[in-house]
Amino acid sequence: MPVGTQGTIKGLTTSQLEEIGCQIILGNTYHLALRPTSELIDQLGGLHKFMNWPRALLTDSGGFQMVSLLHLADITEKGVTFQSPVDGKPMLLTPEESIQIQNRIGADIIMALDDVVKTTITGPRIEEAMYRTLRWIDRCIAAHKRPNEQNLFGIVQGGLDPVLRDICVKGLVDRNLPGYAIGGLAGGEDKDSFWRVVAQCTAALPEDKPRYVMGVGYPLDIVVCSALGADMYDCVYPTRTARFGTALIPEGVLKLKHQAMADDTRPVDPSCECMVCKNYTRAYIHCLVTKDAMGSQLLSYHNLYYMMKLSRDLHSSIIQGRFPDSPKAMFLNGSATRWRLLESIFLPAVLHSRHPKIGL
Amino acid sequence: MKFAVKAWSKNGRARVGSLHLGSCPHLSIEIETPALLLTTRKGLPVFISPDLLPSLPSPDSHLLQFSPLHFITVHGLSEYAEFFMLYSSESSFAMGFARSMEGLSTKTISNIGGLHQMLGLQEYGLAAVPRDSIVCLPEHESSNKMGTSFETPSGRHLIKPVEYMEMISSMKPNLYATLADEVPAWVSEKRNKASVDRTVRWLDDCLKLSTTGGAVFGSIVGGSSVEESQRCAQEVARRNDTFGVAWNRFTTFFNHAQSISSPNTGRAIKSQYCCDEFGSSTST
Repeated sequence: MPVGTQGTIKGLTTSQLEEIGCQIILGNTYHLALRPTSELIDQLGGLHKFMNWPRALLTDSGGFQMVSLLHLADITEKGVTFQSPVDGKPMLLTPEESIQIQNRIGADIIMALDDVVKTTITGPRIEEAMYRTLRWIDRCIAAHKRPNEQNLFGIVQGGLDPVLRDICVKGLVDRNLPGYAIGGLAGGEDKDSFWRVVAQCTAALPEDKPRYVMGVGYPLDIVVCSALGADMYDCVYPTRTARFGTALIPEGVLKLKHQAMADDTRPVDPSCECMVCKNYTRAYIHCLVTKDAMGSQLLSYHNLYYMMKLSRDLHSSIIQGRFPDSPKAMFLNGSATRWRLLESIFLPAVLHSRHPKIGL
Repeated sequence: MKFAVKAWSKNGRARVGSLHLGSCPHLSIEIETPALLLTTRKGLPVFISPDLLPSLPSPDSHLLQFSPLHFITVHGLSEYAEFFMLYSSESSFAMGFARSMEGLSTKTISNIGGLHQMLGLQEYGLAAVPRDSIVCLPEHESSNKMGTSFETPSGRHLIKPVEYMEMISSMKPNLYATLADEVPAWVSEKRNKASVDRTVRWLDDCLKLSTTGGAVFGSIVGGSSVEESQRCAQEVARRNDTFGVAWNRFTTFFNHAQSISSPNTGRAIKSQYCCDEFGSSTST
């Protein structure tokens, strides 16, 4: 899911997104509630109409941005208290308020407000956050006014502690939600711990409901999480890295700002079929990047196309039974040794989980 | 390229015409004039990528303006730039150099096959004009008899006719304006006269160096002096190879219009291009 923070993917029109093959976009509740406000979006017929996107939309709860963007955000049992960035007044985002805002925005999938802590934090705070997330999910369910049109996903918290994660998963599964997200994993933790948590959660969550790993977006992470049984991902990485002049290619990344690109008359990715790679050379994009908006636009287009293609390749290799041996989709960062390394990680990640279902 | 006037207004000098871009074998675009050229930055309209261009009316939106100076690259600084980037702790200083390196050499553009190829806009007409009212501003005080000085995002550059024509021959636009010594209306008479002399001389230089087959639009200067504008127009008209004329100052539009139409110009100018102070272009 590309991230369309302010009701738009920066640099791309919705018709281009349709062409690239995006099926679902994420909108940030925090930013939309600030501008243009959820009430206005509701008045104008909902976010689909507002941004002219005929396909699916997902909104997050607003909690994460609040905690990461605002200096003085404070989490209490009532909700998240913060200083309004508009006028500095103290404000409170409760689970009820978050759901109501999301009801007004009108996305197809909405996220419960969770108490999210960084995985680098240790101590009782993680346990407190996990139990609070479970108490808040009940408040979110109660406040949800459009359960037949909007699917409320719960978010599994619990830091890196398998016991806490297990309790949280069980608690959410008991509420029988339309889908589940694995949260709290998008910053700072080491990869082994990351994969272990994802593996544990996917093993414990119901088979017939979607699993959404929040904030995960590097191509390699997406492949690994898919191997572990996750279904949905969102990340600003493809579009943000495009704005810094970096293109995603099968061999890794290509920094178009580099002086070597100035004479390179090849396309960004010779194997890519997108509009950018079919029409432009690295040299031209080099002279655009970071100086002209068009550079970001073209690279964003290519990077999203690349991610969509990665998804499609994942699909087909899973269906055709080639996963994880599929060479094209898996030729990430340039070597087969990377894959053998991955395979050696999967097994221990699964084995180390204490969940009875996974025990081999 | 072909241009024909189809109709005239009854009481004024306004006319409707048709500009036929046919310089490439497969390219056959007819544009009705008066026509508005889309301004571009490095060849593409600022926020409209080529897949979105077809949503604009066609063929009216098929004429794009660009400045060859958008692509300028400063070769001589590259060694210093690398030195600074590797060894300097003054990263901002290095960035200053690095920024001036972000361009495309004419060699690379030639290797790609010209601007139409580089932009993926084979079905479009490209018009080259040295000045761009937003980022490539002529600096008349630094211009001299060798060339015009421009203030660009990559610094101050003195562009001589030979350098300009090198850019034109690698980019291969459908039409281009020649290098002009633009001066504001408040300069002395002597300076104004010199600007006309230089512009005409540079027109001859450009014509001599012209290899690409693009239509040449002779630049007309002359400030607010009717006589000088007229003299410039006459000189431009006298050159048989000029397809049209390009005016650079809207404020003296009416003087120019008069000077072009006066019987003294000697030969009917085929097509006229005017660039106003705010950066948009109209062809009349």
